[in-house]
Amino acid sequence: MADSDEEYVGDVTEDEDDLQVTRGDNPRAKRKQRGGAEWELSRTWETLVEGADGTINSTVEGLLEAGKRKRLLKDTTPLQRGIIRHLILILDLSQSMSEKDLRPTRYLLTLRYAQEFVREFFEQNPISQLGVLGLRDGLALRVSDMSGNPTEHLTAIQALKTQDPKGLPSLQNGLEMARGALFHTPSHGTREVLFIYGSLLSSDPGDIHQTIDTLISDKIRVGIVGLAAQVAICRELCTRTNGGDETAYGVALNEQHFRELMMDVTTPPAAYSQKESSSSLLMMGFPSRTVESNPSLCACHSKPSRGGYLCSRCNSKVCNLPAECPSCGLTLILSTHLARSYHHLFPLINWVEVPWRRASRSSACFACGLSFPSVPLEDHWQMAENNTKGMSVSSRYECTACRNHFCIDCDLFAHEVVHNCPGCQSKSTPTRSDVANPPSGGMDITV
Amino acid sequence: MNSVDASEHYELGATDLPPSLLTIVIDTNPHAWALLEDSLPLSKAIANILVFINAHLACNYANEVAVVASHTQKAAWLYPSHNAPRNRSDHEGDVVMNGATDTTTPETNKYRPFRLVEEQVTRNLKEIMDSTTADDLRGNMSTMLAGALTLALSHTNRRTLAWAEEHGGANTEDAAAEGNGNGSTATNRYSASNEDERLQSRILVVSVSGSIDAAHQYIPVMNSIFACQRLSIPIDVCKLSGDAVFLQQASDATKGVYMALAEPRGLLQYLMMAFLPDQRSRRHLVLPTRVDVDFRAACFCHRRVVDVGFVCSICLSIFCEPPPGSDCMTCGTHLDIGDNAKPALLPRRKKKKKRVNGASGTGTPMSTPTPGP
Repeated sequence: MADSDEEYVGDVTEDEDDLQVTRGDNPRAKRKQRGGAEWELSRTWETLVEGADGTINSTVEGLLEAGKRKRLLKDTTPLQRGIIRHLILILDLSQSMSEKDLRPTRYLLTLRYAQEFVREFFEQNPISQLGVLGLRDGLALRVSDMSGNPTEHLTAIQALKTQDPKGLPSLQNGLEMARGALFHTPSHGTREVLFIYGSLLSSDPGDIHQTIDTLISDKIRVGIVGLAAQVAICRELCTRTNGGDETAYGVALNEQHFRELMMDVTTPPAAYSQKESSSSLLMMGFPSRTVESNPSLCACHSKPSRGGYLCSRCNSKVCNLPAECPSCGLTLILSTHLARSYHHLFPLINWVEVPWRRASRSSACFACGLSFPSVPLEDHWQMAENNTKGMSVSSRYECTACRNHFCIDCDLFAHEVVHNCPGCQSKSTPTRSDVANPPSGGMDITV
Repeated sequence: MNSVDASEHYELGATDLPPSLLTIVIDTNPHAWALLEDSLPLSKAIANILVFINAHLACNYANEVAVVASHTQKAAWLYPSHNAPRNRSDHEGDVVMNGATDTTTPETNKYRPFRLVEEQVTRNLKEIMDSTTADDLRGNMSTMLAGALTLALSHTNRRTLAWAEEHGGANTEDAAAEGNGNGSTATNRYSASNEDERLQSRILVVSVSGSIDAAHQYIPVMNSIFACQRLSIPIDVCKLSGDAVFLQQASDATKGVYMALAEPRGLLQYLMMAFLPDQRSRRHLVLPTRVDVDFRAACFCHRRVVDVGFVCSICLSIFCEPPPGSDCMTCGTHLDIGDNAKPALLPRRKKKKKRVNGASGTGTPMSTPTPGP
C-alpha cells in the first residue's frame, strides 16, 4: 500500500475505515453485514470518548481490538458442510474494471485477490475442483479448466495481467458457460459460481431469468462480489439460487472489504437438508510415495521425474496429489488432505469476554505469556465497561471448556489458524474431548 | 502498486537479516525415558539440548529460543516461564533481588542469556517432574504433543507480531494491516513474498514416545501441522526411540528435517549437524529428510491399512468396504454408493426406496440449513 505521494493521507483514511467497519455492526442486526451501505449513516465520531488522561488512545485501541474480535465471532454450530466443492470463479474483464477507485486498478486488484483466493481455496478445500472464466466483449471466455491443481489456475490468472479489460460483460453468457462446466460434476459435491463483478450492467443475448430458473433446477448456487454498487439483477440472482438467502451478494466498500468478501467464500458452505439424499460414498486411493533410481514420465503431464505417487489401482505415476488418476479415474489423495478439512466439521468454540470480576484469576495470557492489564479498583469498573461491544474490558478472553484466559492475538490465532485451544490441548482432562475433537470414530487414522 | 507508480525503490532499505526463533518441544514422558536409561538418561539429554540451545543463541545476538515440555498430563513452558511468581512484581524486566537468586551461587562468568535459559529450563523441568505422581503415570503412556505444539505456535505468533512491530520499516504493509485490526487473515500477514523479512521461526520436536497412544490427539496435531504449513514454519523431528507416523508427515508437510537416531548417545552431534542451520542456510544445504513417508490411511471400521478406501462425502470418514446398510458409521448419513462400487452392491432394495423419497424432495427450492449431528 505504501505509495510515496500518499503516505501521510493513507494513515488517516485507514483509521477512518476501521472506525466505520467497527461501528457498522453495533446499531443493526448482523444480518445485513454483507449488504454494505449502512456505514454511510454511522456517526463514527460519537464512539470516541476521551480517556482520563485527555487523549483518545484507549478508545482507539479498544476499537482496534473490537475490530479484530468482530471477525472471530462466527457461528460455531457444527454444520454438515459440502466439503467436496465444485466452484467456477468468474472474473469481470470488461472496461468498467479499468476504474481506479480500488487501487491500483479494479482489474489488477481483482487478479491479485483472485490468485490469493485460489491459494486459499485449495488450502481450505483440498479435495475440491475449481475453474476460472472471464467476461469480456460480451462473451464468456475460458481462463482455466476445472481442475484440482492450483498452479494451473495461478499461471492462467497471471497471464491475464498482460491484457487489458475491454468491452461489456454478459452475466448470462458467463452463467451458461459455468453451467456447462458444472453439468457433469457428481451430485455429492456442491456446485457454486462466484462472480467478481465490477460493472453496473449486463449485456445479455437472451432472457437471464430463464437462465436463473435452469440454475435453480441444476442446484447451482451463485455468489457475487460487486465492486461498484448494488445491481438488482445480481441481488435477484443470488437470492433465488441460494434459496432466499441474500448474504451471497456483497458489494465491496474498500480493498480490505473486497478481500474479506472473497475469502469468506473459501469456507465450505453448509449443506442443505434436502441435499442429504445426494451424499454418497466415494472410492478413493491413498497412494504411497515412490522414488525411482531412473526418471520416468508421469501420466499427468508426461514430464520425466524421479519422485511421484503410484495409483493404488492401476500403478500409473502422477506427480502431485490430490489428483485424479489419468488412466483409471480413481481419486488419489493423502489422508492428510482429509484431515485438513476436519476443522470445518469440528470448529473450535468461541471464547467469551471476561469481566473485571473474574479477571484477577490470571495475570498473563496462558498461551503466549503477554501480561494483562492489572485489575483496577472496583469503582473504576463501571467506567471502563461502557467502552465498546465485542471486546473484553479486561483484555482477557476465556475458553469456556478449560477456563484459561487468553489475549486477543492468541484468540485470533487459535480460531483462524490453528483451530486448537492451547489450554484444552495442554491438559489431560475429560473435558478435552468434547470441544475440538470429533466423535469417537474420527481419530483412529494413524493407528 | 509499487511496480505501477515506480516507487518500488523507496523500500529497498538496508535491513539486517532477521534473527531466528527456535522453539524446542521436549517430550518428557517418563515411561519412554526410562526405556532409554541405559544409553541416554534424561539429564544427559537435557545437558546436550542446553549446549545446542547455546549454540543457537550464539549464532546471532538477536536469536531467540523457547522450550516447551510435552508431559504425560500436561504441556508446560520451560523457557520463558510466563507464570514465574517471583517475577510478578517487576514489569521492567529487571531481576528481583530477593532470596530466590541466592540459593545457587550465581555463575558470573557465564554469558547471561545462556545462564538464564539454563536456570529456567532446569528449574521448571524439576518442578514438573516433582509434581508428577505415580498415579498420573499409571496407565498413561501418551504425551501432550498437540498442546505443546499449540503453545509453541502461539508463542511463535506472538514473537512474530512483536518483531514485525519493532521493525516496522521492513514490512510496512503488514504492520499497517496489523495496526488496523482489520488487516489479516493470517495468510496475508505471513505471505510468502516477505518470507525473508520476518522473524524466522522453526520448531524442533525431541520425541521419545511411540505413536500408539497419540491417536486421540490426531486431529489437534494435524491442525497444528497445517498451521505450521500455512505459516511456513518447519517442524524438525529428532526421534530418539519409537516411531510416529504423524511426526513423519509433519516434517514432510512442513519441509522440516526428520531424523530417527540410530545411536541416541550421539544426540548432541546429531543436533549440531542436522538441526542447527536456520531456514536461510538450509536453502544451500542438502538436508537429511526422509523419502519413504507412510501416507496410507487406516479405515475407521476395522483399522485396516488401506490403499483404496471409501470416503463418506459428508464427514470424510474412511472405510475399507461399504458400511453395512450404507449408513455412515460416524455421522449416520445415508450414503448412495458411488458408481465405482456398484458392481459389488447391486441387490439392495432398501436403497432404492430411499431414493424415491429423496427425489420427491428435490423439486422444491432449498431452504434453511439444518445443523448436522
